[in-house]
Amino acid sequence: MSSEFTMEKVEKLADLLLIGLTEDEKKMIFDEFEIIDQNINKINSMPNIQNVEPMTHALDDFVFELREDEVCESIDRDEALANCDDQDDGEVSVPKVVG
Amino acid sequence: MKYMNLSIEELHKLLKNGEVTSDELVQESLKLSHELQEKCNAFVTILDDQKGVCVNDELLSGIPCGVKDNYSTKGILSTGSSNTLKDYVPFFDATAIKNLKSHGAVMVNKTVMDEFGLGGTGTTGHTGIVRNPWDTSRMCAGSSSGSAAAVAAGVYPYALGSDTGDSIRKPAAYCGIVGYKPTYGMISRFGLFAFASSLDHCGVLSRSVKDAAIVVDAMKGIDENDMTSWDSSNIHLYNDLTDNVSGKKLFYIKELCDIENYENPSDELKKHLCIFKETLEKCKELGIEVDGVSFDENLLRALPSVYVILSCAEATSNLSNLTGLIFGPRGEGTNWSEMVKDHRTKGFSSLIKRRLVIGSYVLQSENQERYFKNAQRVRRLIVDRMKELFKEYDGLIMPVGTGAAKKLEGSVDILDDKTATLEEHLQIGNFGGFPSITIPDGFIDSLPVGINITGNCYDDQNVLNIAYALENSMPYKGQIAKEGKDE
Repeated sequence: MSSEFTMEKVEKLADLLLIGLTEDEKKMIFDEFEIIDQNINKINSMPNIQNVEPMTHALDDFVFELREDEVCESIDRDEALANCDDQDDGEVSVPKVVG
Repeated sequence: MKYMNLSIEELHKLLKNGEVTSDELVQESLKLSHELQEKCNAFVTILDDQKGVCVNDELLSGIPCGVKDNYSTKGILSTGSSNTLKDYVPFFDATAIKNLKSHGAVMVNKTVMDEFGLGGTGTTGHTGIVRNPWDTSRMCAGSSSGSAAAVAAGVYPYALGSDTGDSIRKPAAYCGIVGYKPTYGMISRFGLFAFASSLDHCGVLSRSVKDAAIVVDAMKGIDENDMTSWDSSNIHLYNDLTDNVSGKKLFYIKELCDIENYENPSDELKKHLCIFKETLEKCKELGIEVDGVSFDENLLRALPSVYVILSCAEATSNLSNLTGLIFGPRGEGTNWSEMVKDHRTKGFSSLIKRRLVIGSYVLQSENQERYFKNAQRVRRLIVDRMKELFKEYDGLIMPVGTGAAKKLEGSVDILDDKTATLEEHLQIGNFGGFPSITIPDGFIDSLPVGINITGNCYDDQNVLNIAYALENSMPYKGQIAKEGKDE
């Protein structure tokens, strides 16, 4: 097991994610990670693994095309606001998040 | 007369001949939806006000279907089976839905899933667990649980699913039906709630390969809103379906399919692998050559962990917009961080929380190389090995999972090191974006089990043809679930 992955680390990560965990949930994460870590240790011991190019997507042959820089259909404001809990004068109203 | 147990072609013929109306089909499907809801809890929403449509020459026109609740559906609740979106009503249709509607499809319900697609049991949706119509004490697997249950129970001939690890193909096996995810990008993901974008696929659950081909023909197409979609206008899955597959070549992974490789195997695993061998014999009778090939054991053992690392990392990024501040039910608290924490703690199931913590850890800059990048490297090695084999073979054929549907009681969605790779090998199809289809191939103790065929990218027709021929050689096409079925 990675020395870095401790119960305290689990708690700290959950805090950073703004998620509350029960003691059972913390233990399940810890146990599951132990299996992942064992497998990662095996991967690390594979010869020349560092020379393999990481695969970031399912297909390697995407054709990326930029569309023309033209104004296209946009979202209707009323429809976009329909799912908001709180709105004011056509804008989403949120709690203070800065300073 | 009961119609919903029929195939799409049969229903289309009846509709065209005026022997039944689209409205009558919709009413029957709605009635069956309510009956199944009592028994299996398969739906988040049943569209009781839905009406039939005018029938035209399109095969799907006027025929009811179900849609997994992670597809955005205009004006209709779309929750992803999460409390964090329990009241969310999209103002647009996902492209796949828009395409289906243009072919005359009629949606009658939204189906329960594992929350945001992250689970594989059908037990983590915010409206409760989904039960298997073959045996309600068992799971459907997931995450397309409600779609699988409904199609298997004969509520309609098909339902939409999505598949990030095996979320269409394993529920299909557990419910005795067909589950097909085409090549990555053949169906646009625009409007599908993102879980792990590099692995997410749209697809279908049906009761026959032919029905799956008809539905994907209607869903697919290049889409300016999804830059990973591609032009498949030269592919006509239904029209080009043939059961002439003599001379095709399939391989299976020897290490996973040999019972000798498992210490103290269960009777169920023995039966499952025995059925698999019988299916291989059927392939040979069809003129298909089948070989066992070896796969690097380290890669095989790493597979489930690689999937967890990649999918959790991508999910952590994709789900970070769920704060409850801009949309979704706002949490309680005296400042924004307390509100977000309250929203997430109350809104997410235990499974999602666990997944996000792991995803966050592997994405931290000091851990990225060891976990995330190495997982991506193994992904490439596995995909490269598959592509090398696809130069010689038309597809990979494997048993789905380790047996039939598992008991709901006592199940946990957590890695088990002993049989993990056999349980999770369908993830290979997502790593490479490969077309992959599950069909039923037998029963263990009155419960269905399935087999999967996976081929090279863009070779969907070949994969479907092999599945179609194999399906025709077995007696499970179009079967409807019934509890306590005799073997």
